[in-house]
Amino acid sequence: MKMLQKVLNLLIKFPIGKLISYIVFISWLLITVIPLIWMMYSSFKSNEELNMNIYSLPHDLFANYNDEFYVIEPQLSVVPDYDYENDLRPRLIIESNTIDVGRHSLVFFLLKEKLPPEVANLQPDDLVYVNQLPFSMRFEINWKTMLFNYRKSIALGGLVFKFFNSIIYAGVSTFFIVLFGLMIGYALSKMRFKKMSVVIMGIIGAGYLISINSVIIPLFLMLSSFHLTDTHIGIILVYTAFGIPLAVMLSSQYISGLPDSLIESAYMDGATPFQTFFKIIMPICAPVILTISIVSSLGIWNEFLLVLIVGSTEFTKSLPVGVYSFSSLTSTQLGWQIAALVVGTAPAMVIYFSFNKYLTKGVVAGSVKE
Amino acid sequence: MKKRDRHDLFVYFSFIWVGLLIYLFIVAYPVLYSIWLSFSDYNPNKGGGWNFVGFLQYATMLKDPNFYHALKNNMIVVVVSVGGQIPIALMLAYILHRKLIRGGAFFQTIVFLPQFLSTIVIGLLWRRLFAADGPMSTLIQIFTKDPDAQFTMMLDPSTVFYPIGFALIWMYTGFFMIIFLANLQKMDGSIMEAATIDGANESQIFSKIIIPHLSGTIIVCSILAIAGSLRGFDLIFAMTTQGLQRDNAMVLPIYMYQTAFQDYTNEMRFAYGAAISNIIVVISVLLIGISNLIGKIFKPSEEK
Repeated sequence: MKMLQKVLNLLIKFPIGKLISYIVFISWLLITVIPLIWMMYSSFKSNEELNMNIYSLPHDLFANYNDEFYVIEPQLSVVPDYDYENDLRPRLIIESNTIDVGRHSLVFFLLKEKLPPEVANLQPDDLVYVNQLPFSMRFEINWKTMLFNYRKSIALGGLVFKFFNSIIYAGVSTFFIVLFGLMIGYALSKMRFKKMSVVIMGIIGAGYLISINSVIIPLFLMLSSFHLTDTHIGIILVYTAFGIPLAVMLSSQYISGLPDSLIESAYMDGATPFQTFFKIIMPICAPVILTISIVSSLGIWNEFLLVLIVGSTEFTKSLPVGVYSFSSLTSTQLGWQIAALVVGTAPAMVIYFSFNKYLTKGVVAGSVKE
Repeated sequence: MKKRDRHDLFVYFSFIWVGLLIYLFIVAYPVLYSIWLSFSDYNPNKGGGWNFVGFLQYATMLKDPNFYHALKNNMIVVVVSVGGQIPIALMLAYILHRKLIRGGAFFQTIVFLPQFLSTIVIGLLWRRLFAADGPMSTLIQIFTKDPDAQFTMMLDPSTVFYPIGFALIWMYTGFFMIIFLANLQKMDGSIMEAATIDGANESQIFSKIIIPHLSGTIIVCSILAIAGSLRGFDLIFAMTTQGLQRDNAMVLPIYMYQTAFQDYTNEMRFAYGAAISNIIVVISVLLIGISNLIGKIFKPSEEK
């Protein structure tokens, strides 16, 4: 404490105090922002560039107006990006000689009928330059080359599908957490049977201390005995159950502060208990619903261990698990990995910077219970 | 029972039953299941046959060097969290609250940002930054002018917790800072004004008014930090590569995961893993109890 006092004396008495405060916060800012900016621009760099100089700005993927391509023969390792079973029109297959050379990863299938004759008649192993091609093809090749890392990581990692899985988990679970949490919170705080309510509240409140991580083994065994591993339902059930304690605590606290006359007058008007709940209580609870939704969906969006263990196929993996397994599979393709990291962080960052006031308030309200 | 009572009880339970059932079955029941598992020799390789074996799993644990290694590492994480994140968060919150810098709202947004990003993805980013061929190594090469210099802290068991501790502080300090800030803003400003009029300087205000006022919050944050760092899995799991590196930085939840879900030849993997999980819960309850006790002892002395 004495040390702290001395440090603070320094901080406050002299204008140096302000300087130190600025230094602390600015270095924190740099430590946060520089890695993120590095990640953003590096995701547009080719593997060769990343190996050559890890800090240089992206160049190869952008300066692609006159890239060199090889004409190659059809091969099993090169999977066409068009419907090759029904579309039998002749195509010229070209592979980049500038980016990811020799890996068959930047390949285009050009329709011969749209090519000028001197290009269409090229044979395998001939060279072709991008600016020899007609404008529409050039344009497509240009932007597909620019987004090379993203196209590869999204396609190979199945990240779009996993992104929607994550949205389903967070959205559906949060919906049920709010619904059940509010219903229980309403019954416990505004109905008779107070003694029973205290007992139920105690049982549910104790669940706040238990996390998915601490009972993951029994959860796994239970889900497998019900054949619910690797299903969306199983994962959503677990998320819903573990979100209920916080939702019940926050909502019963909020609802018990509402005047009883609201419910009585609804009862006088002949509303059933469920009508009262959905038409009167729910709308008034909007602020606490927002808090519960923010805290629950944030936690579920970032949850990792449950899906890692329960989601054994691509069908149920969430975005964090997808990015993790993608990065351990493609350890040599640095550019693709970094692009996957951007895909994993960008949605949350966009949402955070657009609504950060509400989100911060929600997290505080959800974590500090008096 | 009167008809009215029966009707009310019916309404009461029709509100509660779905949620309560899901909760009891998925949160409460696994706790008992986990305790039962840890006292059995449940064998998943033989279709789940089991016997009651008493404290065998816990006895094995006490003789297991890997367990002590993971426990020691976990205690390092607890110390970094409670001793690092919370004081730094308090300092940052104080600077922001007293408006010692301009653009406080902007800095607050940045420090809080990591809370919203996936721990796994951020862990992977730090792993990349700290890799032997990564940007950190290049930075060292530029400063030392030695083209072969490398950032090797992640590879050496004696230093692996410096980068991990750094990432832990970077990741979670913002959360505690926001909680401190919210509680500072709830404070009655007139007390501080009165103190200033009486001639108290800033450090006296800090130690005599702000610390006692926040002592409850500090205890709550310590409890959150202890619970979080004992169950924390994601960041260390993502920052280390499987094998030697992860073994060096092993913490109890990762040890539990590797025992139960990766060590397929171990016939008692689920039983032993459950025992580890239960010990994690017991240790966090103990540490939380101790920090509560410390809070009770220190509170009156700070308020004198």
